[in-house]
Amino acid sequence: MKSFKTKKVLAVFAAAAVAAGTLTGCGGSNGGQQSQAQQPQSSSQGQAQSAADASAATDSAESQGFTYPMDTDAKLTYWCELNQNVSANYSNLGDTPFGQEWQKETGVSIEFQHPPANQGSEQFSLLLADGDLPDLLEYAWMSYPGGPEKAIKDGNIYELTDIINQYCPNLRKYLDENPDIDRMIKTDEGHYYCFPFIRGDDKLCNTIGLMLRQDWLEELNMEVPTTIDEWHDVLVAFRDKEGASAPLSWEYTMGALTSANPFAYAYGTCQDFYLGEDGKVHYGPAEDGYKQYLELFRQWYSEKLIDQDLGTLALDQVSAKITSGEAGASIGWAGSRMGTWINAAVKTNPEFMLVTAPYPTLKEGDSPKMGQIDNRYPNQAAVAITTSCKDIEAAARLMDYAYGEAGHMLFNFGIEGESYEMIDGYPTYTDKILNNPDGWSVAQSMSAYIRGNYNGPFVQDLRYLEQYYTIETQKESNLVWGATDAAKYKVPPITPTAEESKEYSTIMNEVNTYRDEMTLKFILGDESLDKFDEFVETLKGFGLDRALEIQNAALERYNAR
Amino acid sequence: MKKSSFSVRAKKDFRRNRNLYLLVLPVLAFYIIFHYKPMYGAVIAFKDYSPGLGIGKSPWVGFDNFIRFFSGPYFGRLIRNTLLLSLYNLLFGFPAPIVLALLLNEVRNKKFKSLTQTITYLPHFISMIVVTGMITNFCMSNGLFNDIIVFFGGERSPLLQNPRLYRTIYVASSIWQEVGWGSIIYLSALSGVDAQLYEAASIDGAGKWKQLLHVTLPGISPTIITMLILKMGSLMSLGYEKTILLYNAATYETADIISSYIYRVGLVDQDWSYSTAIGLLNSVINCILLVLTNRLSKKISDTSLW
Repeated sequence: MKSFKTKKVLAVFAAAAVAAGTLTGCGGSNGGQQSQAQQPQSSSQGQAQSAADASAATDSAESQGFTYPMDTDAKLTYWCELNQNVSANYSNLGDTPFGQEWQKETGVSIEFQHPPANQGSEQFSLLLADGDLPDLLEYAWMSYPGGPEKAIKDGNIYELTDIINQYCPNLRKYLDENPDIDRMIKTDEGHYYCFPFIRGDDKLCNTIGLMLRQDWLEELNMEVPTTIDEWHDVLVAFRDKEGASAPLSWEYTMGALTSANPFAYAYGTCQDFYLGEDGKVHYGPAEDGYKQYLELFRQWYSEKLIDQDLGTLALDQVSAKITSGEAGASIGWAGSRMGTWINAAVKTNPEFMLVTAPYPTLKEGDSPKMGQIDNRYPNQAAVAITTSCKDIEAAARLMDYAYGEAGHMLFNFGIEGESYEMIDGYPTYTDKILNNPDGWSVAQSMSAYIRGNYNGPFVQDLRYLEQYYTIETQKESNLVWGATDAAKYKVPPITPTAEESKEYSTIMNEVNTYRDEMTLKFILGDESLDKFDEFVETLKGFGLDRALEIQNAALERYNAR
Repeated sequence: MKKSSFSVRAKKDFRRNRNLYLLVLPVLAFYIIFHYKPMYGAVIAFKDYSPGLGIGKSPWVGFDNFIRFFSGPYFGRLIRNTLLLSLYNLLFGFPAPIVLALLLNEVRNKKFKSLTQTITYLPHFISMIVVTGMITNFCMSNGLFNDIIVFFGGERSPLLQNPRLYRTIYVASSIWQEVGWGSIIYLSALSGVDAQLYEAASIDGAGKWKQLLHVTLPGISPTIITMLILKMGSLMSLGYEKTILLYNAATYETADIISSYIYRVGLVDQDWSYSTAIGLLNSVINCILLVLTNRLSKKISDTSLW
């Protein structure tokens, strides 16, 4: 009797030991050295697993036949930047018709939290440093210091592979059908970390380009310029005959517009990394083409063809100059710049019209090679589930909704009967959007009902853009700006390893500061171009070659994904 | 009489002034909770801080972050810019409110005096964003300042893109914004100077200028020195707000200061440990400056903070 009891106790111990062994095994297999960060992850996956097992046991069809809205009382916190077109009329995304519909359709209540305007990355840093994270965190996760893999290892966000396979049939299906995208949104280690913003069509990726005054061109009897020389003639004519004090003016202080400089592309370079003909990552400013580009701009600046206040230009000043005729050409987006300016200027000057110009070339008849292009996964507004999240299934299902049929329509077109009607199978925006009765701009009324016109965790639909662009020249912008081989020269979304990332960011922080400073000085004429070689030497002294080595290794890992 | 031990005296004092101690308690708690407890976080300057691990578990790296700053390419420039800008701020910004206060003190027309005071206070209440926005627009090549330059026969140029002008713009605008507000304390000190002294001086044949030198200035000198010591303590701690709103790549050379650099590496690049190390270093320098000035003033003028 007694011996039997001992045996039983022993057996229990043995079972416990085996169980413990399996558990630790699970934790270890997930990726080595990390600490407590892994703990909640493996246990939550365990929970998810057992929860799924349980539901499978009661009703094997349930996971297949899952339907929205969910029957849950989950309330999730969701942190994201509030787009300025939304904040013009709403202080919280949850107040918009879009936000309410999303919660109603999914059955999950969301409490949106927003940082003050233009402080997204600072506030994101503070959130992380503080450690008190919302359940869902929308951010440019590729920009997380150390890369997304580090965000997982730091214990800030969950690795999503199992979660996506378990709860996200829509996203899973999309990724299976689009292996290119699938490769972009994974880490080198093959881990998923976010619900991505994806541009659903290549045409959505050409967003920035040159534009100039069409009515002036007609007055001057000139053609839309295609080469650097023609551009020079046009700008001179704008200066002398149209009285423009700043013929070419754009928001130089905005990184996106300065790194995508069409005139630099003409010399086969840019302000940032690009993919060379040799299939390796190059740093534009350290190459000869950059010197030629600087010479050109220095010349133009001294001829007063470029805005003399270049270094301090921000949106409001550029807008004022373009619409008042102080400037005649600019670099920017077809919607938020071109459309806005045309609509604002025609009120006082009915003749005012802008036209898109192709990426310029050095020789007449050449077709432009490089140009601005976004990756289909443009590193914007991707949503991660943080380790603070208790109800992972609700979070995952909420996010997956957007990648399904109904969610796709909601995110891109809004609510049927309110913001759009199906006309011949084509979702057409109603007058509420296109001619808003409250006098809101199209961008603002769209932003109340959809996220399609800016970004977010969903697949962007080209049909939104076809209607968002209301002016003929805007509609052509994709074709005019897209007529390059830009994709060939675009560095895919690569990330350094967590170990290299600190070294990389230290180097690039110094390199980019120096590049910004010297580039402007070369253009303004404060520094002689004889010093260009010295400039390149200094960049190398900061460790540029090492940074390129890291980038190229990352590219190899990416290609091997 | 034999002096009793400290603990005995403290107990006695506590019993006698219990209510006073009770009154000071909330203030003490405020300082401990909001000023001393967060100081613990400064240890991340010696660590490789990762938010996932928390302060306690992040690995120690010793003085690595400090060495990185000292050996970095921008170290010399940042220190020079911070020091020079602070120095100019002190050199021109410190006497300005004193001069204004002395001038106002001589004004006999009450209405004019209060009007001038109100007008000079006002800029203090304008938010920094608005002030820098105004400066930026005035400095543009078609802005107000250039209109004035052209009126006097000069040529238009983008002023904010000129590194040689940056410090002037920065310091002059600071004076414009703070001179009225800063003069308040001196005006109150001036009103405390005994009127009999002026009478006696004028009987002795002192004119306005002599009165100013021998009565007024000595009268407010304790205030001036106290203010100077306080100012010295914050000499190196120029805020980043104005700098990041006013500078651009063309003026980094003279404009980039320690705090704007901390802002960039700490909040934009999220390199918390590194930026904490620089911030800590900055505070240590400030602390040393404060102690030195205090000792100096004790020696020269017998006025000191402690």
